[in-house]
Amino acid sequence: MRNASNVASIQGMGGRGPMRGRPVVKPKDLKGTLSRLWILTSGNRKGLGWILLLSACSSASAILSPLVIGDAVNAVDKRLPAVSLLLLLLSLYLCDWIVRFLQQFFMASIGQKMIHHIRVALFEAMKTLPLAFFDRKQHGELMSRLTNDVDNISNTISNSLTQLLTYGFTIIGIFIIMLFLSPLLTAVSLIGVGFIFLLTRIVTKHTRKLFTQQQKILGELDGQLEESISGLTVVKAFCQEEQMNRQFDQNNNDFQKVATRALIWSGYLMPLTNVINNLSYVAISVVSGILALNGLISIGMISSFLLYTRQFSRPFVDIANIYNNFQTAVAGAERIFEILDEQPEPKDKQDALPLESPKGDIEFRHVTFGYTPHSPILKDLSLRVPSGTKTAIVGPTGAGKTTIINLLTRFYDVDKGSILLDGHDLRDYHMQDLRRCFGVVLQDTALFVESVEDNIKYGRRDASRKEVEQAAQIAGADSFICRLPKGYQTVLAQGGAELSQGERQLLTIARAVLANAPILILDEATSSVDTVTEQKIRRAMLAITEGRTSFIIAHRLSTIRDSDLIVLIEDGKIAEQGTHEELMKLGGRYASMYLTQTDS
Amino acid sequence: MRLILHCIKQHISTFLAGLLFLSVEAMADLLQPTFMSYIVDEGVKNADVRTVLYYGAIMLGIAALGALGAVMRNMFASRTSQAIGKELRGEMYHKVQTLSLENIDRLKPASIITRITNDVTQIQDFINGCMRIMIKAPITCIGAIALIVIETPRQIPMMAAVLIISAVFIFANMKCGYPRFERLQKRLDQLNNVSREFLNSVRVVKAFHAEEKEKEKFRIASEGLADAGVSAMRVMAVFAPLINFTVNFGIVVMLWISQNDSSTEIGKLMAAVNYMTQILFAIGMVSNILNTAARAMASSRRVNEILQETPAQLPPKEPLFPSIQGGVSFENVSFAYAGAGRASLEGITICINPGETIGIIGPTGSGKTTLVNLVPRFYDATEGTVRVDGYDVTQIDEKTLRRAVAVVPQKALLFSGTILENLRWGKADATVEEVRRAAKIACADSFVQETEKGYETHLSQGGVNLSGGQKQRLALARALVGNPRILILDDCTSALDADTEATVLNGLRRLSGQMTILLISQRISTVMKTDRILCMENGRIQGIGTHSELMHSCPSYQAIYDSQIGGMQNA
Repeated sequence: MRNASNVASIQGMGGRGPMRGRPVVKPKDLKGTLSRLWILTSGNRKGLGWILLLSACSSASAILSPLVIGDAVNAVDKRLPAVSLLLLLLSLYLCDWIVRFLQQFFMASIGQKMIHHIRVALFEAMKTLPLAFFDRKQHGELMSRLTNDVDNISNTISNSLTQLLTYGFTIIGIFIIMLFLSPLLTAVSLIGVGFIFLLTRIVTKHTRKLFTQQQKILGELDGQLEESISGLTVVKAFCQEEQMNRQFDQNNNDFQKVATRALIWSGYLMPLTNVINNLSYVAISVVSGILALNGLISIGMISSFLLYTRQFSRPFVDIANIYNNFQTAVAGAERIFEILDEQPEPKDKQDALPLESPKGDIEFRHVTFGYTPHSPILKDLSLRVPSGTKTAIVGPTGAGKTTIINLLTRFYDVDKGSILLDGHDLRDYHMQDLRRCFGVVLQDTALFVESVEDNIKYGRRDASRKEVEQAAQIAGADSFICRLPKGYQTVLAQGGAELSQGERQLLTIARAVLANAPILILDEATSSVDTVTEQKIRRAMLAITEGRTSFIIAHRLSTIRDSDLIVLIEDGKIAEQGTHEELMKLGGRYASMYLTQTDS
Repeated sequence: MRLILHCIKQHISTFLAGLLFLSVEAMADLLQPTFMSYIVDEGVKNADVRTVLYYGAIMLGIAALGALGAVMRNMFASRTSQAIGKELRGEMYHKVQTLSLENIDRLKPASIITRITNDVTQIQDFINGCMRIMIKAPITCIGAIALIVIETPRQIPMMAAVLIISAVFIFANMKCGYPRFERLQKRLDQLNNVSREFLNSVRVVKAFHAEEKEKEKFRIASEGLADAGVSAMRVMAVFAPLINFTVNFGIVVMLWISQNDSSTEIGKLMAAVNYMTQILFAIGMVSNILNTAARAMASSRRVNEILQETPAQLPPKEPLFPSIQGGVSFENVSFAYAGAGRASLEGITICINPGETIGIIGPTGSGKTTLVNLVPRFYDATEGTVRVDGYDVTQIDEKTLRRAVAVVPQKALLFSGTILENLRWGKADATVEEVRRAAKIACADSFVQETEKGYETHLSQGGVNLSGGQKQRLALARALVGNPRILILDDCTSALDADTEATVLNGLRRLSGQMTILLISQRISTVMKTDRILCMENGRIQGIGTHSELMHSCPSYQAIYDSQIGGMQNA
C-alpha cells in the first residue's frame, strides 16, 4: 500500500529484486562473526561452565583407559593376574558413562536456550526496523533467516560444542601421555595430524564460500515459494502452474548445483582424514614393531599406543567435521547479523518530549519527501490542520495521499521541512507516545490468528469485553461477529482469510475505534464496505471524530463532504483546499471529480 | 519410510555404486588391526624385521585403496542425496500447483512451505548420512565381529551379549525419539506461522505500537520449539552414553576372559580390543543415524501428506473442449466453505447471456465473491450446477475454462518479474502491442510508460513498489491481455480515484458485447450502467433486473441506492 507511484521509485526498488543466477559472495569475516556470536550468547555462559567441567571429567576417562588396557595386555602377555587393573578399567568406564549422560543432558537445554535467545534477539531487532526494510525484502527470505539460519547455528551449538570441548581435553591429555610413553612414536602420529590440519584448511576455504552461496540461493527459493503458494489463486486463475513450475525448477536446479558442490567438498574431510589416520596407524604399527624388536618398548605399550593413536586422531577427524558444520553455522550467523546490523528506526532523542494528551494541532512545513532520493513524492508541501478538525485528503492515485499518512505516523521521516504536532517537530517526541496518538485504519486489513475479541483489542490490551462490544457496534461489525460460530471468541484461524474483505475492514475499524486515539487516520478505510454499512460507519465516525483531529483519505467524495477541510493533492502539491461548498463554487478539479462520481 | 525407499530406488545405480565404494572403505579400515596382529605375533615375536615391513607395506596398500573408496563414495553420496532432494522439492511443488484452493486452505501455505524446504532437507540429510556412514557402520560392525569370532572364538558369548543389549538400547532410543522429533517439526511450523504473520502485518503492528506483543507471541512460539528440541535431544542424552558403556564393558569382559586363558595369542588380543573400539564407534554412529532416521521419517510422513493429497476437485474423465462464447448459468446453486457452519450461497439461479454485462451489488459478506469464484471453478458448488455455454463447468477441461474466464481479484496480486512478464500471464505469446492495448484500457499504460524501463520495470515481491491503485490497474490489464470471453471484476477498482475509475469503466463498456462481464462493486454508480444488476444479501439473490426495475421491485437495492445517491441528492 505504500504510495510510491513515482517513476523512479519503481526503478529503485526494482533493482533490488532477486538476482537469479548470479549470486554474489562477499568475503566474510569469520573471527568477527564468532566474537559477535559469543557476545550474543553471553546470557547462557553459566551453564557452559558446568559443561566444561563435565567435559574435563569425560576426557579423563578416555585418556586413562588405554593406559590401563595396555597394562592389562602386558599382564596377560606375561601371564600375571590383572584383576585389579580390570576393576580399575571398569570403574573408569562407569565414570565415563555417568559423566557423558550428564553432559549431554544439560547441553540439550543449554543449546536450545541459547538458540531461543538468538531467535528472539533477531526478532527483537526486526521489529525495530523501519518499514522501508520490510518493503524492500522478500518475506520468504526473511523467514528463511529466522528458521533455517538459526537452525544451523542451533545444530552446531548443541551437537558440536560438547564434542568440541571433550575433544580439546582429550587431545591435550593424550598428547602428554603419548609424549611420556614414547617421544618417537608421538612424532610419528603428529605427522598424520599435520596432514589433517592442512587438509582441513584447504577444504574449509572452499566450503565456507559455497555454504554462504547455498544459503543465499535457498533464500531465493523460499522467496519464490512464499510468493507463489500464497498467491496460488491468481496462479490458477491464469493457468500459470506450468510457468511457476518452470521457475521453481530453475531455482531448484541452481540450488542443487551449489548444494552438491558444497556437500562434496565438505564430504571430503571425513574420509580423507580417516585415510590419513589409517596411514599413521600403519606407521605406528611398523615403527613400534621395530622398536619392540629391539626391546625398546613393551608389547603392552604398542597396544596402548595404537589405541591412543586412534583416540588421538579421531577427535581430529571429528573436529574437522565439526569445523565443517561450523562453516554452515557461521554463514547463517552472518546472515543473521546482517539483519541485526540494519539501521533500526531512528532512536528517540535524548531530550525527547513526552506526549500524553496532545491537542492534535498539526502543521506540515515545506515538507519534501521521496521514497528514493531523487524522486520526491511530496514537494514543498505546507498545510495547517487546527486541532479537532476533520480533514479530507483527495486526489488522483499516486498523488501522495498515503505518503502523507506514512509521514504523520513516522513510518518514514521527511527529507526536508518538518511536521509539527502541537508546535513541536514529530521527531522530538518519543516514538511510542507519538504512535499511540494515532488511531489508524489502513488500506490493508491485516488481522491476526487470534480471537475476534483479541483482534479488536490489538491496540489496547486492557479493554474490557464491554468496551470491545461497544467499539464493534460503533464500527458496525457487531452484527456479523454475532453470526460467527463462537461470536467474539471465534478464532480467526486463517488470519481473517475466512472473512470477506468488507468484514475484515469492519474489524480493523473497530480496532481503531477501541484504541481511542486523539488523532484518527482513515486511509480509504471504507473502500470495501458496502454503502449501507458505510453509512453506519460514517455516522459512527462522525461521533468519534467529534473533537478529534482526523484525516480521511477517500476516493468516494460523497463520504467526505462534511469535512472541515478538503485538500486536493496533485503531483505532490496542494492543488486546491477548502470546504466542499467552497471547492464546488471554485469549479476546479474537485468540482469536476465530484460531478463525474455522482454523475448518474 | 516407503517414500525414502522409493526415492532411493530412483537412483539405485548411483546409490549402489556409493555403497560399493563405501564397502571398500570399510573393509580397508577393518583389515588394519588384523595385519597389525600379524606384525606383533609373527614379526615381533619372531624378531623378524622383514615380516614387520612386509605387513606394513600391505597395510599401506590397503589404506590407499580405502582412500580411493572414500573419495568416490563421497561423490556418489553427495550427488545422489542432492538429486533426491531436488526431485522431492520439485515433485511437491508441482503437486501443490495441481491442488485446489480447498486443499490449500486446509494445508495452510506456511506449512506447505516448511514441508518443501525443511522436511525435504531432513530426508536429504538422512539419505546422505546413509550413504556416508550408516551402511559403513553395519559393515564395520559385522566385519569386526566376524574377525573377532574367527580369530578368538571364545569371545562369542560376550559379543552376542554386547550386541543384543546395544540393539535393545538403540531400538528404545528410536521409539522414544520419533514422536518427539515429530513434535519438533510441528513447533517449527508454528514458529513459521507467527513470523509470517508478523511480516505480513508489520504496518499494522507498527501503527498500533504492538511490537512488544508480537515479540511475546514470537517468544512463546520460539520457546515451544526450544522445549521440543530439548526433550528430543534428552532422549539421545540418555541412550548414547548407555550404549557406549555397554561396549566398554565388553572390553573389560574380553580382557577378563583372556587373562584366564593360557593359549591367548597377544597380537590377536590386541586386535580384538581394537575391533571392539571400532564396534563402539560404529554403534555410536548407528544410533546417531537412527535418530536422524526418526527425524527423517517424521519428515517423510509430512512430505507424503502433500504428495498423497488428492485434489478436492478432480479433472473430468472425458473433458469437453468447447469454444466458449460466454453464457453463464447457475442452476439452484448452493455453496458452503469446507468446515464453515453456514452456507455462503443458497439456491442461486440465474442465466447470463453471452456479451451481457452484469453488475453485482450487495452488502459485505453477502456472497458476491463466492458466487463468481464458482465460474472459473476455484471451488465447486456443493449443490446445483454452474454452467458455461450450457456445459457443466466440472465437465469442461480446466485450462479451456480458465483461459476463457479472466478474474481480477479484490486483492491485486502481482509476482516478482517485469511488468511485461506479469501482464503476459493473460496470454503467454502476447505481443507488446497487445499488452499495451490492454494496459491502455486499464489506464495502466501511462504510468508504466513514465517509468524509466517501461514494461521491463522489475516488480519486487509482488509489486510492493507500486501503489494499491497501480497494482489494481495492472491486475486488470493482465486479465484483459488474454481477451477472455468472460471477465470477472471483483470490486477491483476500489483503490482507484473516481476519475481513473470512470475512465476504466468507460473503456470496459466499449468491450461489452465482445465479452461477458461480471462486475462486483460497492458503488451503485458503478453498476448502474450495466445491462442487468444482481442484488445479493445473505447468500441469496434479492433481485435481478435493470436499475429502474430494481428501484421498483427490490427493497435491498433501494436501501443501497438511498445510502449513496439518495443521500447525496438530499445534501
